[in-house]
Amino acid sequence: MKRGSFVNFFLVHILSVIVLLFVLGPFIWIFLCSLQGEADLFVVPPNWVPKRVILDNYRYIFTGEIPTAYEVRGLIRSRISQEARYILPTLLNSFIIALAVMAINLALASPAAYAFSRFRFTGKTPLYIYVITSRLLPAMAIAIPFYFIVQSLNLLDTKLSLILIHSVYTIPFSTWFLTLYFGEIPRDVEFAALVDGCNPLQAFFYVLLPMAIPGLSAAAAFAFVFSYSEFLFSLLITQTLKSRTMSVLIASLANNPDVSYALLSVCVVLAIVPLLLIGFFFRNYVTKGMTITIFK
Amino acid sequence: MFMREQRFSYLLIFPAVALISIFTIYPLLYAVRTSLYDIVLSMPFMKPYVGVGNYQAVLGSYYFRGSLLNTLVYAGMSVCLVTLLGLGVSFLLNSPFRVSGVLRILILFPWAIPFVVSGVIWKWIFNSSYGVFNGLLYTLGIVDSYVSWLSHPFYAKLCLVTAHIWKEMPFASILFLAGLQAVPRELFDACRVDGGTSWSVFRYVIFPLLRPVLLVVVIYETMIGITTFDLVYVMTGGGPGDSTSLLSWYTYAETFKFLNLGKGAALSIILALLILAIIIGYIRVIRLEEVY
Repeated sequence: MKRGSFVNFFLVHILSVIVLLFVLGPFIWIFLCSLQGEADLFVVPPNWVPKRVILDNYRYIFTGEIPTAYEVRGLIRSRISQEARYILPTLLNSFIIALAVMAINLALASPAAYAFSRFRFTGKTPLYIYVITSRLLPAMAIAIPFYFIVQSLNLLDTKLSLILIHSVYTIPFSTWFLTLYFGEIPRDVEFAALVDGCNPLQAFFYVLLPMAIPGLSAAAAFAFVFSYSEFLFSLLITQTLKSRTMSVLIASLANNPDVSYALLSVCVVLAIVPLLLIGFFFRNYVTKGMTITIFK
Repeated sequence: MFMREQRFSYLLIFPAVALISIFTIYPLLYAVRTSLYDIVLSMPFMKPYVGVGNYQAVLGSYYFRGSLLNTLVYAGMSVCLVTLLGLGVSFLLNSPFRVSGVLRILILFPWAIPFVVSGVIWKWIFNSSYGVFNGLLYTLGIVDSYVSWLSHPFYAKLCLVTAHIWKEMPFASILFLAGLQAVPRELFDACRVDGGTSWSVFRYVIFPLLRPVLLVVVIYETMIGITTFDLVYVMTGGGPGDSTSLLSWYTYAETFKFLNLGKGAALSIILALLILAIIIGYIRVIRLEEVY
């Protein structure tokens, strides 16, 4: 081994460890906090390794049973944030909304991408640019009118209004992404199908879509993550648990000066888990999809 | 044949375009109209037409200048750091050692995390009385006593930027990685054989090929940076004072706290124009045709 590559080896590993610490440290810390009693969090300097690992915080969120650790201590008698128990219904709302947004994206963006990548028609370029650039409009610019539109349609505090606006904000990206992705798929098989008597719609459904599953998965993952994370519209439109989303609940907890940090940590961990699953599941598609679409 | 293809295409595109149009053009026109009237919700029966009065009032106000400056500083810092760190990390992700495979998977985690959650995590880390960041500095002997990071005008900005980088850098690095993987191996070797140094390989081989992805990253990050709202809402609420009041936060406060819809709408139009101007600027600098 050359000396240069030896130095390289150490440099890469040291830097990788630093990056990993920065990336994962906050997760690990919040996870450790969720496993401790409130009183154990309020020490200076912090316990680097938890003194006592308890699952009481999780039990409280799921069953409402008050953690025993909260009965002790006089002055810093621990705080219970009842609001934290709403995390489960709000997570369910976020999940339903994100799944619907994902489905709408696939249903509307893939046909549009098919047209943009395969056919010639008048006004193609302006329409394509229009669709893509509509994403550049800052959410804040249409938040105010959107609020009043939703209000006049009596759709305040409904999941439907959020599904619509999240779809509007994700379809441009999905369309762009899928147009590039479809463009990379050879057209020979489609031609063969057309010659054999398929119509273009059948060629799309039975030939192109099955070949584009990695790209479709990546687009779906992006749409899901966007919707799951969206905050501004959710903040304005949701009012009760009927439609309230996870991001609104967590922001409200974070701004409560009396919040129990242990319970807040549990909420954060619970909010992250579905994303980790999705991220882990789609990890190859995301990187591959990017490589294929952006660089030919 | 062409006519049929054309009709079929319009049918395929129609649903997507219709949905987008309903929820962008109409609201945008509505916002423009609102911005021309002096609408304050606490005085519901007086809605005089003021023309560009709202724009003049907003542009001339002390708070606007402050938040514009904050936004530019914040976006400048976050775009530069995210781009540079993302580029650096992408080389780690592309290294031939086994560690890069692990890194490629784990680095995606913060990217998937909502900004709100990132804000909550970092707010707790920077907590003035029990935060782990203070604990770390204290244990290492760098500070004598805990510092309340989020109540200092400049540190609060840095805290926001840290949370921002944590969330955004992974995405940038994955994009750059995709760019690096598209660079043919032979090009490196050819440059090496011709006696190129690491720097010249980067400058003359890698960098030109990365320019398209650089444009994508910079535009995307600028947009995210300038419109940052979630982090401010969760971590600082615009404070201390107005030191972290970014444009989108100011717009939100003007509209939904002071219920001054006319001015809020004017601000949101200004924000949209600002983003448009910056993006056109980028495209001029890094020419668009290189992307395709």
